[in-house]
Amino acid sequence: MKRMKWLTFLLIGLAILLAGCGGNAASGEGGQVVIYSNGDEEAIKAMEQSLNGAGYEGKYIIQSLGTSELGGKLMAEGSKIEADLVTMSSYFLESAQQQHSMFRDLGFQTHSLEEYPAFYSPVLANTGALFFNTAMIEQKGLEVPKSIKDLADPSYKGLVSIPNIMDSSTGWTLIQAIISEYGEDEGKKIMAGVIENAGPHLESSGSGSIKKVQAGEVAVGFGLRHQAVEVKKSGAPIDFIDPVEGNFSITESVAVIDKKNEKTDLALEMAEVLITDARKDLITYYPVPLYEGETVDEDNKASNNKTFSEPLTVELLEKHQSFFNSAK
Amino acid sequence: MLNVRPEMKVIYTSILIVFLLFLLLPMGTLLLRSFETAEGYSLTNYYNVLSNSELLTAFVNSIKISGLTAIITTILAFMIAYALNCTNIYRPLKSVIKMGILIPMLLPTITYGFAIMYSFGNQGLITQLLGKPLFDIYGFNGLLMGYVIYTLPAAFLLINNSFMYIDKKFIIVSKLMMDGSMRSFLNTIIRPMLGALGGAFVLSFILSFTDYGIPASIGGTYSVVATQLYQVMLGSIPNFNHGAVIAVLMLVPALFGVVLLNYLERFNFHYDKFSQIEMVENKIRDIILGFISIIVLMGMLSIFLVMFIAPFLTSFPYDLTVTMQHFINVFTSNDLTAVYKNSLIVAFFTTVVGIILAYSSAILNTRTGLKGRVAFDVVSMITNTLPGMVLGLSYLLLFNGSSLKGTFTIIIVCNIVHYFTTPYLMAKNSLSKMNPSWETTGGLLGDSWFKTVYRVIIPNSASTVIEMFSYYFINSMVTISGIIFLVSAQTSLVSSKIKELQHFAKFNEIFVLSLLIFFTNLIVKLICDYLQKKQSVKNF
Repeated sequence: MKRMKWLTFLLIGLAILLAGCGGNAASGEGGQVVIYSNGDEEAIKAMEQSLNGAGYEGKYIIQSLGTSELGGKLMAEGSKIEADLVTMSSYFLESAQQQHSMFRDLGFQTHSLEEYPAFYSPVLANTGALFFNTAMIEQKGLEVPKSIKDLADPSYKGLVSIPNIMDSSTGWTLIQAIISEYGEDEGKKIMAGVIENAGPHLESSGSGSIKKVQAGEVAVGFGLRHQAVEVKKSGAPIDFIDPVEGNFSITESVAVIDKKNEKTDLALEMAEVLITDARKDLITYYPVPLYEGETVDEDNKASNNKTFSEPLTVELLEKHQSFFNSAK
Repeated sequence: MLNVRPEMKVIYTSILIVFLLFLLLPMGTLLLRSFETAEGYSLTNYYNVLSNSELLTAFVNSIKISGLTAIITTILAFMIAYALNCTNIYRPLKSVIKMGILIPMLLPTITYGFAIMYSFGNQGLITQLLGKPLFDIYGFNGLLMGYVIYTLPAAFLLINNSFMYIDKKFIIVSKLMMDGSMRSFLNTIIRPMLGALGGAFVLSFILSFTDYGIPASIGGTYSVVATQLYQVMLGSIPNFNHGAVIAVLMLVPALFGVVLLNYLERFNFHYDKFSQIEMVENKIRDIILGFISIIVLMGMLSIFLVMFIAPFLTSFPYDLTVTMQHFINVFTSNDLTAVYKNSLIVAFFTTVVGIILAYSSAILNTRTGLKGRVAFDVVSMITNTLPGMVLGLSYLLLFNGSSLKGTFTIIIVCNIVHYFTTPYLMAKNSLSKMNPSWETTGGLLGDSWFKTVYRVIIPNSASTVIEMFSYYFINSMVTISGIIFLVSAQTSLVSSKIKELQHFAKFNEIFVLSLLIFFTNLIVKLICDYLQKKQSVKNF
């Protein structure tokens, strides 16, 4: 009998190993809607606040991931992904949908300013612009640039900072501007000049260049327009310019993975909350109007908004990445 | 040897099934996937990976920096162990050094990088004290520093341990024979220590070659294999087959290590007895070695100092007012407390189940006549060479579609297998020293085998079980390489959460979480040490 007791004990141990802990995961937080997001800290905070305000506190769990990491997961796992809801760069959502048909139509009225596919709706947009350090420009006796093309001028050597399209989607808005204005051939020459001038100031983060310009490490930079506006308002010697090539934007959107279970319905409700409630906060951090009735400061209205002629997809991004690399 | 009983066979078979499922099968899958292409099985993946200049650079970088780390670590660890074992340095100082050197083991490696950043970065604590940055920390320098800190405790333990098995009387004999101090040192210390030194070198090399936490935090643009593997698996264009190839290639240095260790085995001396002797007086030697040990220890601890300061300040180094806000933020955030709870759950189950598994394997191996009991030695050799990242990756490949994906179970199993070797050897070591006839005696007195194990064997090895507990618990609290491919949003652990917080540069939260791990581990370690001491007092 005693022998049996010990045997049972050991087997229970193995049982814990094989089943118990799995049950733990299921019974503990299993009912929560899992949200994957590539958003910045401010974006995540705004989304959390709106969800908590709508009474969803404790009913969701947000996991933040880098854009490429989340993109990789979407492409590799399709609808088997752990997340029920994602907020992600729209072009990645387009490609993931094309490949896996993994998203559910949102099915509610959004009143967006532009048309978007039925399976996603934007939560925020980032717009690219030029900015410069007024003190540095004066000190170095430089001309204030009017276009991205100007940054290729040898007089800016070592004084330019741009985001790298390999890591940053802000970097992509720069490439879009160059290609749509000058085409690939002339564009490549300009790109090569800009990269040459940027040297070590090729930033992996979209906010890297404004930091360099603000710190006086370089004189001019390309990056997120709203950040330059904010830094200027804080009293730093910074000014911004909408380049003649245009202000291009990248949107990040919310989409719901079609898992065909009850969590999908809850995720849909949350998606609506994000678009209606979270936008009020998000627009203060990312001041680009996306929906009817949204207003922003005069300063935050880009004067030369443009969109790329082709739809933004991962394939196009890869094409533009190799354009960028070939100009190096 | 004891007669084989059916219950032994049952346990034997169940354990073997566990290793079949969670060690051999995943490894087989990994190997298979590394050859798999759209056109069937071929060497194309290997060709592609090896002709990718970026990956090749990463390999060369990894080998370079791990080799350098291993050299530095082995020398430092040897000097400190020498200072502790062959000098007349003040005893309490010796114990402080011995304890202090092990402190990094209580922290996840990903924390090291942030501590280095906050110590030697442009605004770092040490930089501020010195007035200017000493060197560029991102990339090679930071990595080297992190790896040395990471591998030093393990290398020290190994070398220090074999110092205990050297008969120091030979030092006196050598002196009497009028050997010069160099010759004496070479013949009585270095020669018998060669095996251990080689072991420390190989261990340090493999640990730094396969660590993910340090390059993830401070690698900068200096690419190493571990970060490349992560990128290939979880980057923007995941390629599982190429990931499998890199993982297989990651095993190559480990295999070389085993070969080297086997070769070094022949240098190991077996002294008949170890006599404790008074060390020859030599003030200069003591002062120099004591000084070196203290410098190394202080240098190491000063890097971690910032971790205990920064989270208590509003915004280090700009706003130095003292605040508890960061702690309050962490403890009131559901998200972060849940992560801490997850880590505790994982560590607890890993420890309990891990001990049962390792202890049972060791009993069957040393105290029964089971056919095929050598299997456990083979398993422990495999788990010893297997880097955590490779094991985690093979689990991802094998269990991705199964219901185990995203559960605590898979993380716990991964930890148990990953850290199996040391607890198993601990148990084996202590069990093989016990009187082999206890089970027979117990049997004659009418006790079943289980009863003897329960009433005699376990109580006599209680100290070892406590040691196993401490080892399994602390390691599963700090590991990141092993679990980075297995965690999900709902099973996120502290060490993987730190990586996520890094994305937002939330360093205060990172340090608070690191302190949580640190103090949890410290408490567990102190309790275990105390219980162990009590045990050994009871036994003798």
